Amino acid sequence: MDRRDFFKTMLATPLLTPLILASRKSKNDLELYLIAEEPQKLIPILLEEVQKYSLSDGHKFCFLNPHPQEKALKECLLGRAWAIAEEPAKASLALSFSHLQSKALPSFTLVKEGRIWDIRTRKLLSLWQEMNRIPSPSSCLTIATFKSRLTDFLTGKYVTVYNHGQQPETLSLGKNLTKSFQARGGRITVQVRDGKAWISDSPCRHKICLYSPPVSLAGERTICAPNNFLLTVERHRSIDTVIG
Amino acid sequence: MAKKFIPLLLTCSLLFPNCGAREKWQTSTLLVFDTLCEIKVFCASSTFRAAQEEVEGIFSEIESLFSPEAEEYTSPMVLELYKKALQVYHDSDGCFDITVGPLSRLWGFLSKSYHIPSSSQIESALKITGMEKLKVEDGTLILLPGMKLDWGAIAKGFAIDLASQALIEMGISSGFLNAGGDLYCWGKNPDNQDWNIGIKHPRERGYFGILSISQLGAATTGDYQRYFIRDGTRYHHVFDPRNGYPASGRQSVTVCGPETLLCDALSTAIFVAKEPEKIMEKYPNYGAIIVDSDGNLSFIGKASPFRSVD
Repeated sequence: MDRRDFFKTMLATPLLTPLILASRKSKNDLELYLIAEEPQKLIPILLEEVQKYSLSDGHKFCFLNPHPQEKALKECLLGRAWAIAEEPAKASLALSFSHLQSKALPSFTLVKEGRIWDIRTRKLLSLWQEMNRIPSPSSCLTIATFKSRLTDFLTGKYVTVYNHGQQPETLSLGKNLTKSFQARGGRITVQVRDGKAWISDSPCRHKICLYSPPVSLAGERTICAPNNFLLTVERHRSIDTVIG
Repeated sequence: MAKKFIPLLLTCSLLFPNCGAREKWQTSTLLVFDTLCEIKVFCASSTFRAAQEEVEGIFSEIESLFSPEAEEYTSPMVLELYKKALQVYHDSDGCFDITVGPLSRLWGFLSKSYHIPSSSQIESALKITGMEKLKVEDGTLILLPGMKLDWGAIAKGFAIDLASQALIEMGISSGFLNAGGDLYCWGKNPDNQDWNIGIKHPRERGYFGILSISQLGAATTGDYQRYFIRDGTRYHHVFDPRNGYPASGRQSVTVCGPETLLCDALSTAIFVAKEPEKIMEKYPNYGAIIVDSDGNLSFIGKASPFRSVD
């Protein structure tokens, strides 16, 4: 289904218009709209990807209203290290349900800072294509809202690469790029995408740096200790270094 | 022919006395104590090379002197740090203790094969825990059989103090050294202000506050640095040496003050202590920022400029 048709469908429902307007106002929030009969089968894959766009890093969730698949969604999130928030204010992920007035083909769309982000171009493309092959339309709309407790103040502008024995190199987080560095034990590849940076390839033995989540907030770091290689995010001259 | 150039060289050296020795901000990282040490200093390139070598040399010396595998220690430097550690041990009623090595081993923090020991195993480990069991004879620090020292909560701070002092003596007017959770900064930052030090949030990405300091050290102890989770409970590496279990009630403690080694030791002591105010009263030049187990922030002791960002 085309994204335009998707939004046309959503805007036709009286509930969604205020939701989208709210999403436009709350600049740090991010919302995922998922039309699927069994959202529990797709939510884990989508969360993994969508969290890269989110400033929120908590692992507590809540339901804002009753969801027909609440039990299955709870089971799937609890099984993936998420916990139920004691109260909605402490949740970093809020799930809500809406019944679409007319059925639509399964799909997902991300709204961040009031803008639609096309996440199908990343590794979710195959999932999107697969969903489009599901013949039965659904009226079950799941909205996953990521709440950020962090302000825009923390968002990094640059990532500085400290490579053993070499001058530090600063890369802008505003420009997507892939760059390789000759480190002590071989070549390390750094990727910058959508304001986040991560190590995508390293010759180190345990690959801990590859499993580290992408960094985007001032002061966040990714370290490849065996190679004496450090990525550190900076927001121009707000802080000099981080301890802890 | 060469004589022709001598007046030219003399003129150049008079006109440009600092040619090749222009001071600028220099940064680098070194792998020390299994962590990366960040160096940022304002000096000439030639000085910077010497500074890096100096820092590397001090850290590797400290690392070898304070090896946890040693059964006795004879170096005067070790005895000096032992005395400081003993002072904090007494001042904190045993909340800070360098003899917790057997507990770290028992809980699997040394081998990284974590497990929850039985109470009898903990009791046995506690029999060889406690700084009063250490003896100094003829300039040698002697351990009881089975005892194991864990200098981790003080030696890194000590190395930071020695290294930063060495850099200041080299004539470096401004800079900082940051080895993981331990830092010393002096002079001014590139904006000619005090250094802005972010303190990592114990549960979320980013940092929860910024300290603005100079001529001071700072160190953080947290339950998020080394831990494992079993049945929903977090077991971390900061033990209460009096009962052998990970200390409860805090997520993170940052101490700021003139000596990084004391910041290092005090952050562990405050993390463990039930009445941290009593300890801080004995260290009037030091202040602590505490994040309790519910995420609440509190401050005790001497206050340093702090901005919360959450």
